[in-house]
Amino acid sequence: MRIAEQERDDVLLRRAAKGDEEAFTLIYRRHQAAMYRFALRMTGNTWAAEEIVQDVFMTLMRDPKKYDATRGALGGFLYGVARNRVMKHLERLPREIPLEEKNEDGTGFGIVLQDALTPAIWAEKRERMQQVRAAVQELPVEFREAVVLCELEEMSYEEAAQMAGCPIGTIRSRLHRGRALLMAKLEIFRGVPRRASAAR
Amino acid sequence: MTCEEFEAMGLDAERDASLSAAERAAANEHAGSCSRCAALQDSWQAAGVELRAFAEDTAMAQAPARVEMRLRQEFRTRHVTLKVRRTAVVGAWALAAAAVLVGVVSWINWRKGSPNEMSNELKSAPSVTNSAGNTANSVPNPVAPMQGGGAVQQRGSAGAAASQTLVAENELSGFTFLPGAVVTDTDGTAILRVRLQRGALGALGLPVNEERANEWIQVDLLVGDDGLPQAVRLPQ
Repeated sequence: MRIAEQERDDVLLRRAAKGDEEAFTLIYRRHQAAMYRFALRMTGNTWAAEEIVQDVFMTLMRDPKKYDATRGALGGFLYGVARNRVMKHLERLPREIPLEEKNEDGTGFGIVLQDALTPAIWAEKRERMQQVRAAVQELPVEFREAVVLCELEEMSYEEAAQMAGCPIGTIRSRLHRGRALLMAKLEIFRGVPRRASAAR
Repeated sequence: MTCEEFEAMGLDAERDASLSAAERAAANEHAGSCSRCAALQDSWQAAGVELRAFAEDTAMAQAPARVEMRLRQEFRTRHVTLKVRRTAVVGAWALAAAAVLVGVVSWINWRKGSPNEMSNELKSAPSVTNSAGNTANSVPNPVAPMQGGGAVQQRGSAGAAASQTLVAENELSGFTFLPGAVVTDTDGTAILRVRLQRGALGALGLPVNEERANEWIQVDLLVGDDGLPQAVRLPQ
């Protein structure tokens, strides 16, 4: 199994294309979390994120030849497919406000109780996370994408630009605008007066 | 660096790998000299902390196990279907190839068979000629080759064996056996066309009209291997 895990994605994909289910499962397990997080942060909806992840890997299953190993890593290709799905989803439901959702473990969106917090601290943290999440979700799609890729996925500007299919200057500009809007929203949530130049 | 330039690219100068060292130094210098931009940078750093906290909270998020189950199920279905489809396609092609092969072999056999039949017929023709020749040899009569010629025409329309039977039947038909003649085997017989007076038939035991006994007629005599006439026929 350890040897299999060290196998390259393109080798696994070739095996999967020939009907090797274990190879396909290995690819899925390697990349599903990143795809899911990206979709979740972009849509703010666990059901949509689940559907998008499924679509991404169905695309890979249906037509593995779409991926060209000479053009980049499989992760980047999957990000591109996921991004397209996310954009389609957001176009279809431009103003969807998700209801409170539960994770499989019964906790709310994105909040996992991993440490021993007092209920008051946990509630405060949860409220703060909801505010950040709401602020991110209210950003226009292109700004949101730049923020999610650069701030949440911690990609470099080059990687984000490659992922979004635009020049690095565009990513920087979108990130600047996104940050400004985000700061303004977070300050509103905090009760701090909005900075005049923030949303300029 | 101006305030606008700082807002555009100075807020995250340390992380932005596309900035040169000089640009980073200029951004730091501007943040140190401009209180508004310094406050903006502080605000962004505070927002960055909250974003990182949000990112950490969702860092463990992953697709539910049911997605993997559904995908694996779909994978199995798809590849089983593909295998079945591939097998069906291969089978269909194999059948088509077999049909073509059978057709080609049949055609080749047919093509080979046709010249054989023709050569058989061609081979059988000289034997007919020989038999006709034999007849001509055995019957020193100019009519005999004509009979042989007629026989060849008949053989051309029917099979060789059947035509030989027909020839025998035709050659022996119309003969009237002479009284006392016993024909057991026609193999050694010969047909002779002769010209004689009608009255000579009386010598062979046939009834003759006395009034026309002097008339000359042509008759075919079937002569046995002992040289005696066995039957007589009046040719048409």
